Amino acid sequence: MGFTRREFLKAGIAGAVLAASGLYLWRRLVRPRWLEKTFIAKVSGYQADFASVILAGLRELGIAPEVIKGKRILLKPNLVEANPGKIHINTHPLVVRGAAEAFLKSGASQVLVAEGTAHCRDTLRMFEESGLSDVLWEDRIPFIDLNYQDGYALPNAGRFSRLTSLTFPATLRQVDLIVSLAKLKTHHWAGITLSMKNLFGVMPGSYYGWPKNVLHYAGIDAAILDINATLRPHLAIVDGIVGMEGDGPIMGDPKPVGALVMGRNLPAVDATCARVMKIDPYRVNYLRQSETCLGPIHEAQIIQVGETIASVATEFKLLEKIPAQRELRL
Amino acid sequence: MSDSFVSYSVKKLRQRALGKGGFANADNSSYRCDATAWAILALVAAGEDHDNELLSLARTRLAASQLSDGRVSLSPEHPEIYWPTPLAILAWHQSPAHQARLSQAANFLLQNSGRHWQTQPEFAVKLDNTLKGWPWVDGNSSWVAPTALAIIALKTAGYGNQPRVSEAQRMLLDRECLHGGWNYGNKLVFGVEIRPMPEDTGIALDALQDSTAKSSLKRSLAYLKSAVKSLQTPIALAWSLLGLGAWGERPAAAPAMLSECLKRQDRYGVYDTTCLSLLILAARSSGGLEKIFNPDPVLPKG
Repeated sequence: MGFTRREFLKAGIAGAVLAASGLYLWRRLVRPRWLEKTFIAKVSGYQADFASVILAGLRELGIAPEVIKGKRILLKPNLVEANPGKIHINTHPLVVRGAAEAFLKSGASQVLVAEGTAHCRDTLRMFEESGLSDVLWEDRIPFIDLNYQDGYALPNAGRFSRLTSLTFPATLRQVDLIVSLAKLKTHHWAGITLSMKNLFGVMPGSYYGWPKNVLHYAGIDAAILDINATLRPHLAIVDGIVGMEGDGPIMGDPKPVGALVMGRNLPAVDATCARVMKIDPYRVNYLRQSETCLGPIHEAQIIQVGETIASVATEFKLLEKIPAQRELRL
Repeated sequence: MSDSFVSYSVKKLRQRALGKGGFANADNSSYRCDATAWAILALVAAGEDHDNELLSLARTRLAASQLSDGRVSLSPEHPEIYWPTPLAILAWHQSPAHQARLSQAANFLLQNSGRHWQTQPEFAVKLDNTLKGWPWVDGNSSWVAPTALAIIALKTAGYGNQPRVSEAQRMLLDRECLHGGWNYGNKLVFGVEIRPMPEDTGIALDALQDSTAKSSLKRSLAYLKSAVKSLQTPIALAWSLLGLGAWGERPAAAPAMLSECLKRQDRYGVYDTTCLSLLILAARSSGGLEKIFNPDPVLPKG
């Protein structure tokens, strides 16, 4: 028994109609039900009491104390490159310390700060030259270099790329909550770099290279989605007090915004951050694809607490010479 | 260099030796081929090569990480991650029992490279990608550090006159930053100059030893001589000292710098095997990495 060409075409058309109906129904029925909260605080400068700001954010997001009490917390800042005086490149050390203090005050049993720098093979050098080492040493908060740790593999839960598994550093199995402590920046390959792209920095360089070329060949957008789908981080905090515009993530210009953005769902946080930057999240490839399974990016599905987006939004400079930044404007 | 510095570091390395041979990269963890190779080199540099059993077991355990095509991969689950291959070559150097392994590894490197293609003028990244080097991971692009390590290993093992070695050195020269120094391997992206890093500058300078006129590396040497003064972390400091040493520019303050770096363990905990090994190598070699096999009679051993 075989199909005729006509039967085959009919079956194909029927399949396409069914798929389109499913997508339509998902968008109409399922998507509206997925709601997430994000929190925005106005913070005028880096001398603020970040612990209090972040504690307020945790309360506004409905994160009950039991979620944190007794838990081991890993804070993953965005530590890319150190350039003295340039506060727009890395998550500010005082934001990192504030986050550590907030979690410790909430009863966390341990707070670690960890990073696996993508360009620099000496993570400790970045840690020192960024000023983060001295700040964390005051409170004896430990720092972990993720780049040289033994790895453990998990099946790729996202399957956006061809990678069948992802290898994470051993420390990630020893913590209860993973917090992406990102910076509000543009990016010359991904368009923007926020809480989701920040997690490239948990992938050990011993397994992925310096830079993490394995992920580039897999497709940066796909790799961002796969890492987030597989790791399932628990919270995002984005340092937008002074962000970066233009040629991010390193060579761009400082962009004062005066905002800290938080949320439990990273796509929702990134979408909110994109709107703060006056960038359309639907025009950012990885964010648009996030909506299929990782979290909502539609404004109607994000419950905004704290300040409004409009009160902090400011247009980030985008460069025409950078293809990933073209046509991102909201 | 203070004997106590080296003795302390050697003691820590020995604590990470495993019963079945080889070394772990950290306390209470399992075998790692890169840590094993680095530890072997460090023990040789520290004058511990009289301990035949420890080194022999380690070299043999390293051989178990070698695949049939000669590559030495980071783990059995990841045969594609072959950047430890040059480390294994160095670790097997001067070990008669492992010369066949060494030859296989060298031949693997000579027959393989990173991914290369003709770059177009409109590409965002400006470099000559036709020049072959070596990648971190099979199927990826060539980068400065794995290429430099492969050059050092092949030269040390007697393959320095191979065309792939001279091509790889030309690749490194192509990746030199516009104002001197090296980073991971990009110098200009979207028209913007990318900054150098000391650890990559050091390893590149070591790999280029005797391959080009010193005058042509003036800017890179100047960058590194300035950068090394403020370095306190093991990987950057060790490679900077090795790279400067390769060109006769090792700072007189090197022993004090290494001691200060070791004291930072008060803040960071005991360094991993790779870091401790690099510090020993930088302490014991007056020149580049390969100098440990032809030690300077001026520097004391053990």
